[in-house]
Amino acid sequence: MTRVPPPGSLLAAQDLRKAYGPTTALDGADFSIHPGEVVAVMGPSGSGKSTLLHCLAGIVTPDSGSITYNGRELATMNDAQRSALRRSEFGFVFQFGQLVPELTCVENVALPLRLNGTSRKEAEKAALTWMERLEVDDLRKKRPGEVSGGQGQRVAVARALVTNPRVLFADEPTGALDSLNGERVMGLLTEAARSTNAAVVLVTHEARVAAYSDREVVVRDGRSRDMERAI
Amino acid sequence: MSARRGHLPLERSREWGRSRDLAMGARFAFTGGREGWVRMLLTAVGVGLGVALLLLFAAIPNALAVRQDRETARTDLSYQYIESPLKKADNTLVVGEAGTAFRDKEVRGRELQPEGPRAPLPPGVSKLPGVGEMVVSPALKRLLQSGEGRLLRERLPERIVGTIAEPGLIGAQELAFYRGADTLVVKEGSGLVERIDRFGAGFKTPEKRDPVLVLLALVVFLVLLLPVGVFIAAAVRFGGERRDRRLAALRLVGTDSRTTRRIAAGEALAGSVAGLAFGTVFFLLVRELSGSVDLFDVSVFPSYLIPSLVLALLVAVAVPAAAVLVTLFALRGVVIEPLGVVRTAKPPRRRLWWRILLPVGGLGLLYPMIGKDRYGRDFNQYQVTGGVLLLLVGVTALLPWVVETVVARLGSGGVAWQLAIRRLQLSSGTAARMVNGVAVAVAGAIALQMLFSGVQGQYTKHTANDPTRAQMSADLPDEVPLARAAADFKATRGVAKVDAYDEGRVSDRREGATNSAQVTIADCASLREVASFPSCKDGDAFAVRGGDDEVDELGAADLSKAGTKLWFDADDGSPADHRPTSWSVPAGVKQARAIADPSGYKRGGLLLTPGALPSGGAPGLHGQIYLALDQGLAAAPDYARNTARRLGMPTDPVMLVSSKRDDTYASIRTFLFVGAAGVLALIGASLLVSQLEQLRERRKLLSSLIAFGTRRRTLCLSVLWQTAIPIGLGLALATALGVTLGAALLRMTDKPVGVDWASVLSMTGIATAVVLLVAVLSLPPLLRLMRPDGLRTE
Repeated sequence: MTRVPPPGSLLAAQDLRKAYGPTTALDGADFSIHPGEVVAVMGPSGSGKSTLLHCLAGIVTPDSGSITYNGRELATMNDAQRSALRRSEFGFVFQFGQLVPELTCVENVALPLRLNGTSRKEAEKAALTWMERLEVDDLRKKRPGEVSGGQGQRVAVARALVTNPRVLFADEPTGALDSLNGERVMGLLTEAARSTNAAVVLVTHEARVAAYSDREVVVRDGRSRDMERAI
Repeated sequence: MSARRGHLPLERSREWGRSRDLAMGARFAFTGGREGWVRMLLTAVGVGLGVALLLLFAAIPNALAVRQDRETARTDLSYQYIESPLKKADNTLVVGEAGTAFRDKEVRGRELQPEGPRAPLPPGVSKLPGVGEMVVSPALKRLLQSGEGRLLRERLPERIVGTIAEPGLIGAQELAFYRGADTLVVKEGSGLVERIDRFGAGFKTPEKRDPVLVLLALVVFLVLLLPVGVFIAAAVRFGGERRDRRLAALRLVGTDSRTTRRIAAGEALAGSVAGLAFGTVFFLLVRELSGSVDLFDVSVFPSYLIPSLVLALLVAVAVPAAAVLVTLFALRGVVIEPLGVVRTAKPPRRRLWWRILLPVGGLGLLYPMIGKDRYGRDFNQYQVTGGVLLLLVGVTALLPWVVETVVARLGSGGVAWQLAIRRLQLSSGTAARMVNGVAVAVAGAIALQMLFSGVQGQYTKHTANDPTRAQMSADLPDEVPLARAAADFKATRGVAKVDAYDEGRVSDRREGATNSAQVTIADCASLREVASFPSCKDGDAFAVRGGDDEVDELGAADLSKAGTKLWFDADDGSPADHRPTSWSVPAGVKQARAIADPSGYKRGGLLLTPGALPSGGAPGLHGQIYLALDQGLAAAPDYARNTARRLGMPTDPVMLVSSKRDDTYASIRTFLFVGAAGVLALIGASLLVSQLEQLRERRKLLSSLIAFGTRRRTLCLSVLWQTAIPIGLGLALATALGVTLGAALLRMTDKPVGVDWASVLSMTGIATAVVLLVAVLSLPPLLRLMRPDGLRTE
């Protein structure tokens, strides 16, 4: 049976398979997301959630299956094209922020724009706007080592959104935060994403975080199952 | 008593606690899974390489001493006039020089002719070879038996009846032979054929220690040793960031800060002890391999390489001690808290004042040595050593400050530049540490190059030879006719041109001459090589002006008038047989102007073409030949040597060289090149390991940067900038301090101070090449680390 992506989906994957040596991470997983939609990918540790996210973002190439973004097959793109796609269309938030420790917070946020060729001044101006929205503009001159975990994660969210991405990938964005900070980061993240109509792929194993999503996809043993949420 | 009893257990328990902490640190060094083992291996290999080099340096004095002793023990030809020469006896041996060369390598050779049953045996030889036999060194035997040595075999056709054992050789790769003879005639003091009754008979003149050479040797050792020290210090800090995180975790479970430091010390101690073990193994491997290596014509036997016990013990104690001190020093500016290491915050600015004191102190120690007695009466080795050490250590102290100060002022640029600059601003110490070794090596090498250039005139003799015109010359023995020799050499492969001269003297009387002049006979083409004249044909004679010898100048003026009767081989009262033959200066004798022959000598007196000679030929002449070789044929000198041997010449034609270097000076320079190559290789390895270590630490960050679309080129460029900027600054500082040190050393040797910019550029160029090579070698692992696998957490 040939599986087809749902109509109108921005990013869709069918029958993804991926193995790391003898370990199967994905075993026929499907996924789709529409513009402006927030989808939580849930599942226990080692179920293949992060691998699914990495495949969807074009970071990891699946062993088989198809991923289309905006009607374009990711497999037909070379590494440079996928990198350009990630720079301009996607945004990323990781569990530990992964901010560049040597750069100041504003420089970190401006980095994706600078990689796209925006001048430093303009990039930092745009970065500051996003930092204000995420309430971390007072940290602009500080380095990541000098800010708290929650603050750092909000800086990372600002960095992910600064290019106005069409898809935001968030891999356990609150995994290293306490519940209060986690709530705050999720609130700001989803609010900012909705305001720009960005789709959010949110990998988490916390129901509390998944509650911010419109829909949940559960991954177990490398297979995905869509759980429609009544809004 | 009870108090005492109560006190001791407390002390003991403290001691026990400290030992336990150290042991725990040591255990951490060896545990921790694959990561831990890799880190441990890197440290042990790094320290091991340094230790091996230190042990090698510690063994070199012994190796040189053994070589010297063996050379002395086999001394035979005195090259000196002996007032009461030995008489032939049953315990005497006639020794003839028979050395030759193969390619650029010397072949030590002797002919031995026993005069009785008790004739002495050379060291390493159990039986004297008979006529037509020879005993050879193992390296020569291998060469002669290989196809490669075919040309040499033509010169040494004797049957090989034995090999020279180790006591008779100064190196495993030395080419040497003894062959039997029965026609040797003693020529006392000639250095060619002498009579001896034992080998090693104290002909050696006592060697004076030239303070300049002592200074050179000292500085060479320091320049080579210091980067090794810096390297070892860097090696024990491999994996430092990971260790800090581990220590933080220990703090979390309740260890206090002192215990934490002791654990860190234990870890460093274990790494350095493993490094000592690795170093010993590396040294033993190098020692075994040393027998098969020949560097710049110097080889040793493995048994020569025995480190001095004191130096070996010093290495065994100093390396672990230094490792612990370096670790504790590194932790000095770090606060290990239960929730992490407080180092991520901006460190306090480095202070300049104490850093500048080191080079200034060094100069202060060297300054009083300037203008001291050139011959060493006031030469204080310790003061010089201290001064040089302080100046070079000054490089390592100043560099972190320079890097920090400069990068703090660097503006923004592209993303790669920005990433690099920010990283350098945050951790300039790490960057400076990485290039410290290179900077010290370059500073030392620049100073040494300046010193070498400054004093080389003192140790290099310019010979006046002109090797562009002829590359070999030979004085023919009386029994070898010049015409035959010239014909044979002309027919020799690789010989492009032969100029043959018969030389002698003509006198105004048959015996008891009052006036004489040099006479040179050759064809017109060869005469043009020694004089300039308008025209020449066979039968012409020339009176030469402008020769080197004033007597010939006067003689030529008086004796060159047409019709003057002159005598070849006049009786001058010497014991040799004379056959005076008269000859009259022909009419129309021409004037000629002397020009230097290829050996640099200007002949005076008379020049004759063969047609101008007396009809019966001229007696008392001896032949000299100059050979111009085909420069495209590397074996040309060997073909010429083989021809000389076929002609029955006792020695090889001499190679004409424009300069000759003092042996000790040349040895020190050779040692510098060998040592510098080793040190640079070591530094390159250290840089690579440090680079990889840092990249591994940043694996996740690199992967995340790639995830959000950073070009790999941007990251590679950023890594390159991170290396290039500190190395540029390091080399600039090294040049400044190296030139300062070089100037001070030159002033100490009373030489004018001049900067040899070619050397400076070549040294910095070599260092840059090493760093670039390291950067290129670190690119594949960098690209591998940028793969998305780094993002995986499970």
